[in-house]
Amino acid sequence: MRDLSQRALDAASAAGASYADCRVINRTVQRLTVKNGVVASVELFEDEGIGIRVIAGGAWGFAGVDDLSAESVEETARHAVRIANASSRVNRTPVHLAPAPALVGEYRTPVGRDPFEVSLDDKVGLLMRTDEAMSHLPQIRVRECSLEFVREQRHFASSEGAALDQTIIESGGGLDATATSDDEVQTRSFPNSFGRHQVCSGWEAIEAFDLPGNAGRIAEEAVALLTAAQCPAGRMTVILDATQAALQVHESCGHPTELDRVLGHEAAYAGTSFLTPDLLGTFRYGSEHVTMTADSTRAPGLGTFGWDDEGVAAQRSVLVDQGIFTGYLSSRETAAAIGQVSNGTMRADGWARLPIIRMTNINLEPGTSSLEEMIATTEHGVYLETNRSWSIDDRRLNFQFGTQNGWEIVDGKRTRLVRNPIYSGQTPEFWGSCDAVAGPAEWHMFGVVNCGKGQPPQSMHVGHGAAPCRFRNVRVEPAG
Amino acid sequence: MSADELLALGDGAIAALAHGEAEVIIADTRSELTRFAGNEIHQSVAERSRHIRVRLIDGGRTGVGEVRGHDDRAIALAFAAAEDSRRVTSTSDVSPLPAPTPGDRDDPVAFAEATAAATPQERAELVSIITEAAAAHRVNAYGALSATTTTTAIITSAGLRRSATSTQASLVSVARGDDGGGYASRHSADIDALDVADLAAEVVDTCERNQGATAVDPGDYEVVLSPYAVTDLLEHLAWVGFSALAVQEHRSFMRIGEQLMSGSITIRDDARTPDVFPFPFDDEGVSTQPVTLIDRGVCRAVVYDTPTALQDGVTSTGHSMPQPNTWGPLPRHVAMDAGDTPWHEMISSVSRGLYITRFWYVRDVHPLRTVITGMTREGTFLIENGSITRPVKDLRFTQSIIEALAGVVQVSRERRLELGEGESGVLSPWLHIGRFSFTS
Repeated sequence: MRDLSQRALDAASAAGASYADCRVINRTVQRLTVKNGVVASVELFEDEGIGIRVIAGGAWGFAGVDDLSAESVEETARHAVRIANASSRVNRTPVHLAPAPALVGEYRTPVGRDPFEVSLDDKVGLLMRTDEAMSHLPQIRVRECSLEFVREQRHFASSEGAALDQTIIESGGGLDATATSDDEVQTRSFPNSFGRHQVCSGWEAIEAFDLPGNAGRIAEEAVALLTAAQCPAGRMTVILDATQAALQVHESCGHPTELDRVLGHEAAYAGTSFLTPDLLGTFRYGSEHVTMTADSTRAPGLGTFGWDDEGVAAQRSVLVDQGIFTGYLSSRETAAAIGQVSNGTMRADGWARLPIIRMTNINLEPGTSSLEEMIATTEHGVYLETNRSWSIDDRRLNFQFGTQNGWEIVDGKRTRLVRNPIYSGQTPEFWGSCDAVAGPAEWHMFGVVNCGKGQPPQSMHVGHGAAPCRFRNVRVEPAG
Repeated sequence: MSADELLALGDGAIAALAHGEAEVIIADTRSELTRFAGNEIHQSVAERSRHIRVRLIDGGRTGVGEVRGHDDRAIALAFAAAEDSRRVTSTSDVSPLPAPTPGDRDDPVAFAEATAAATPQERAELVSIITEAAAAHRVNAYGALSATTTTTAIITSAGLRRSATSTQASLVSVARGDDGGGYASRHSADIDALDVADLAAEVVDTCERNQGATAVDPGDYEVVLSPYAVTDLLEHLAWVGFSALAVQEHRSFMRIGEQLMSGSITIRDDARTPDVFPFPFDDEGVSTQPVTLIDRGVCRAVVYDTPTALQDGVTSTGHSMPQPNTWGPLPRHVAMDAGDTPWHEMISSVSRGLYITRFWYVRDVHPLRTVITGMTREGTFLIENGSITRPVKDLRFTQSIIEALAGVVQVSRERRLELGEGESGVLSPWLHIGRFSFTS
């Protein structure tokens, strides 16, 4: 890998690049899916290539290729320079990078048991046991469970002298049970929705999920939802489970603190942000119970690594400190635009994509309450579990989320199951109404594996630590 | 490599097959994209890759191996991975490889040499038409121009050999002023057919008209939806209901023979029409047939792949995604029939309502009832007494698509080719809808 990267950097410099970096990436993915008692697919995916990023004429250029012959790599580097030169003829403002030390090192995700050393037979066996545990209810029309394992070897090198080798390992799994009746369809998922829960960890994470042990309960909950009462409507107290809190953090804190959005780089696609630089350090984003961090050192989140994709070391930054907006996710270029240095959040979806600012592990720091205490001190409200739908505006203010199920709370007690709940609000008002966050014992790291951003589209795996939390006077209603 | 070279590569692999059956899909992609923000190019990228997918069927088991790489060993790696996969899969419900059908043709295909040959310099020059127009009006332009060429070959041991080279050029732009923005996009197989100056005029005009928006109360409004917004409705219908698997699993709103929408609504999937990025075959190599999904408001048919067709005792309509999969077939060339009303006359027939340029972040809330939610974005205007009177702040809607389409008043005679969020082509008209629900 080092020979290839040096060849790429030399070719870029010879073609006129004032700066160049490259990432040689080898990615192996296993995906196994069992559906309705049948192994629906076992997909084994290998991917290798190089992405070369340059500055020439004061503009960026990027080119990637999966042909790793010397001639191909050199020509790709020259093409990146041609692209930069073409852009430089339109641009007036040259790219400026905040300084960053040129680092050398190695990092490997700590794992108990390498998931690629577990046989496919054992993995299929676990999924078949999970499926079997959901098969006892005739109302369950679709049973689906899956596992995914990723091993990504990354070599990063830059014309400034950085040379970094990383091996990132991810393990994920989950199950969905879908129940149907003549006029209703309801799905319950575990440990999280949209296919699976994933972390930077080894096979031990899958064993800890205990998919077979939870499958029967989840299937029964899906069936119960078919005849559950519709969620009540009105303004009321909402308690989010940790998985839904994680997605709320993702959409309403993670994305709006991306500094490239703030500077307009994503204005035509993902959007901008209400968290403009003039608000930094003074804007009340939430209540005093709300502290949020970006922490790429916090295992086992999917945003845990040694260095980001422009060679900046993993670190912890405070984004919201006891309710006050205090920081952004940044890159060397965007940090320079506001007089700061990068806090290491540039990430790319493989070798073929340009690194852009992405979430690492964006965490709602634990509080001092507990789910039990929150319910016990709620007169009337709903406890909402597991995301079903999510939507938020392009500045990340106006949101509406739906969850798979809810529990009505009356006089401090969890009473009846309710279906089709949705809740909505405006980001600062919502977080401003947060009056409790559960403590470390109920705080868990979750993974989002479908975070979309960028053109061409990039799908990123990001982490979110969160605990159950409570919000007052929230608009709640049934969907459909 | 050319399509013939990819076919030869696949032929060699199939010829070396010792036992069982195999399908090889090879796709060579060259994709370049120039992105701009604040009237400057801030990202410009290129990618060249080969994706090989092998499906092996032997002893009643199916395995899949995928490799992205140009290495000479790539195809052998894919076969080895597929064999590793095959050994651990179930022995039931194997979907057979489709046989070639007499009369199969590898055309029409959306292809233009100009797109395949477009250079970074040419893209930069096209982008500058927009940025200069924006600068002349003291607004900022943002967006992306992409040019993609893909050569796909599918070769199977059942004798099927299909190949096609397609191109796609896409230009999307937002213009932003001090207090509001506009949106416009154009898509074509041919980058030279993109009317960039027309797009620039539209996006700047919408931006200038959308400054200083004021709020209106949420509630039910009569609306005129532009094709950008209609595309979201059609794409979500395709995802949640037009698949045979969704019907078989009781997840679809489609009740065949029942009228669920206005008689003015006809929705088809037609991969052969030149209007919607034509492509001759699906990911099983089966020729894609035109399917009328909604016929004058009546649920008429859904699309099939081989597994769902076997389940229902019919033949595949050629809408398969790569097999095997758990998500089922998908229409990827959806078009709504045009009506006979010029779109601007729709506005003149609205006494009080909203004109919606586009939706954003549209998500399914209750798929069976086709309830979706999302926001309006970059161009929401109040219509009063037949005229657009002022811009209004963006609103959240939560609305059943089929209920909205049941209340269609007029369909425009003009249509536009759009790309949905899933990047499939959608041919959409303007729609005048009697009631649409905005919640906040």
